[in-house]
Amino acid sequence: MGLRHYARLWLASARYAIIRTMMFRFDFFLWSLVEFTWMMVNLLLVQVIYDHTSDIAGWTKYEMLLLVGTSMTIQRLFTGFFWSNLFEVGRNVRSGHFDFFLAQPGNPLFMISTRKLDPDGLINSLVGIAVVVYSANKLGLHPGAFDLAVYGMLIACGVILHYSTMVLIIALSFWITSSQGIEGSYFVIYQFSRLPREAFKGISKVLFVYLLPAVVVSNIPANVLRHGFSLPQFGWMVAIALAWFTVALLVFQSGLRRYSSASS
Amino acid sequence: MFATLTKYRHVFLVGLQGNLVYRWNFAIRGVFSLFSLAVVFILWGAAYKDLDQIGGFNVNQTLTYFVLLFVLQFLVGAFNEDYQISEEIRNGLINQFLLKPVNYYAYRFSIFVAARTVSGALVILPLLLAMPVIHENLTLTMDFNRFALAVPAVAMAALIQFSIAYCFGMLTFWFLDIQGFIILSFAIETLLGGQMFPLDLMPAAVFKVAQYLPFYYQMYFPAAIITGRIDATLIARGLVLQFFWVLTLYGLAQLLWRRGLRHHTAVGG
Repeated sequence: MGLRHYARLWLASARYAIIRTMMFRFDFFLWSLVEFTWMMVNLLLVQVIYDHTSDIAGWTKYEMLLLVGTSMTIQRLFTGFFWSNLFEVGRNVRSGHFDFFLAQPGNPLFMISTRKLDPDGLINSLVGIAVVVYSANKLGLHPGAFDLAVYGMLIACGVILHYSTMVLIIALSFWITSSQGIEGSYFVIYQFSRLPREAFKGISKVLFVYLLPAVVVSNIPANVLRHGFSLPQFGWMVAIALAWFTVALLVFQSGLRRYSSASS
Repeated sequence: MFATLTKYRHVFLVGLQGNLVYRWNFAIRGVFSLFSLAVVFILWGAAYKDLDQIGGFNVNQTLTYFVLLFVLQFLVGAFNEDYQISEEIRNGLINQFLLKPVNYYAYRFSIFVAARTVSGALVILPLLLAMPVIHENLTLTMDFNRFALAVPAVAMAALIQFSIAYCFGMLTFWFLDIQGFIILSFAIETLLGGQMFPLDLMPAAVFKVAQYLPFYYQMYFPAAIITGRIDATLIARGLVLQFFWVLTLYGLAQLLWRRGLRHHTAVGG
């Protein structure tokens, strides 16, 4: 089955998701508002802290907003495309409803990842981009076409990292049957992506900067806009995105082999 | 009166047993929450790097405030009471209470107290885990007047937390899915309850407006009394306003219950 087949499958799901959103307009409005409010809460935190200080770990207010905006953009893109799909995997594995995906014409991971689309998350990623544009403007940054292209690629790597982390989390449900609620650990990990890398010291640096991709996922793209392209940083991000994606695929495949459906 | 108390004491005891089953869920949640506390320590630690004080408080006073919020969350915070109530309405479990001399608010509140007794005791576990790292940052002035005033503030905070969750649960009478409303309200409560930053760091005018809202009394107010972030005048006025919100939210909860029941249809048996 080629790429064309998968592109058609994805388009069919996307079309269905948009029609569904149009049917439940109030839901769409409410969830867009929910996500927007959470984004505002995080922006207000930055505003209030910088009312009292001029820099945090060497980042000025608008640099910090650039970081938070980048983090939000990646997270909203991830939630818009994948969150509600991956969120229900654990439940489906426990109930046996997962069989339904195995019977579909395509790779199981692709089928479970692309069934739904949340237009509210995608709309709110525009708010994240607006925060980045506003902050870059305030900082007097004028990134060239090359830097913008690199930034875009790094955002894509960021979405891959978020996706891989979530796949690893939900794959646990193949081994642990009472894994209800583990999906929330995704948010636990990625709340660190709103902090500057320089603020981490000692054990927290080892854990969140080097072992988990929680901090570099947003810091590296934001630094491209702040300081321009850096090959080692770019290489680091692409390498960890590939590495985490590969590990996620392997663990998911291995979990899949353990899946024996549920009774009744 | 005595018979009524006995009735809800039994509900409390059953709730206690029910919640003890989920003790590991509470413990795991506590460990997860430690990561949020780590974010707070890293962010505020970096913000204070070249400053002795922010808003008149040093780094340890501010970090202690957040540790106290962490404890209060497990002691008086509403976890998923809104979902539980919503489920009971949707599944028709509330029908049994319509025929029995049981007040649904008192019944749910007894279970809430039982759940917070278990989670409040279990918060010791993550605290012990974090202690080697955070103990140097903890600072509390032993002012027993403040501690005494904090007792009614914490108790009323629990009532406000519960009543807000109860009111959101009641929305199930009118809406099929209330999850969106709950997460929206959670964002507002997190912000105006002082969980993102101590509310006194906001501009003075905004801080003043926040004092008239119920969210201020959910978390910030008791924590600010204990950590000395507000003076005696603000405490005295705050206790009166907090009592006003306890009564208002209770009234609203009762109103929603009565109005909601008119919409309710009990099917089957």
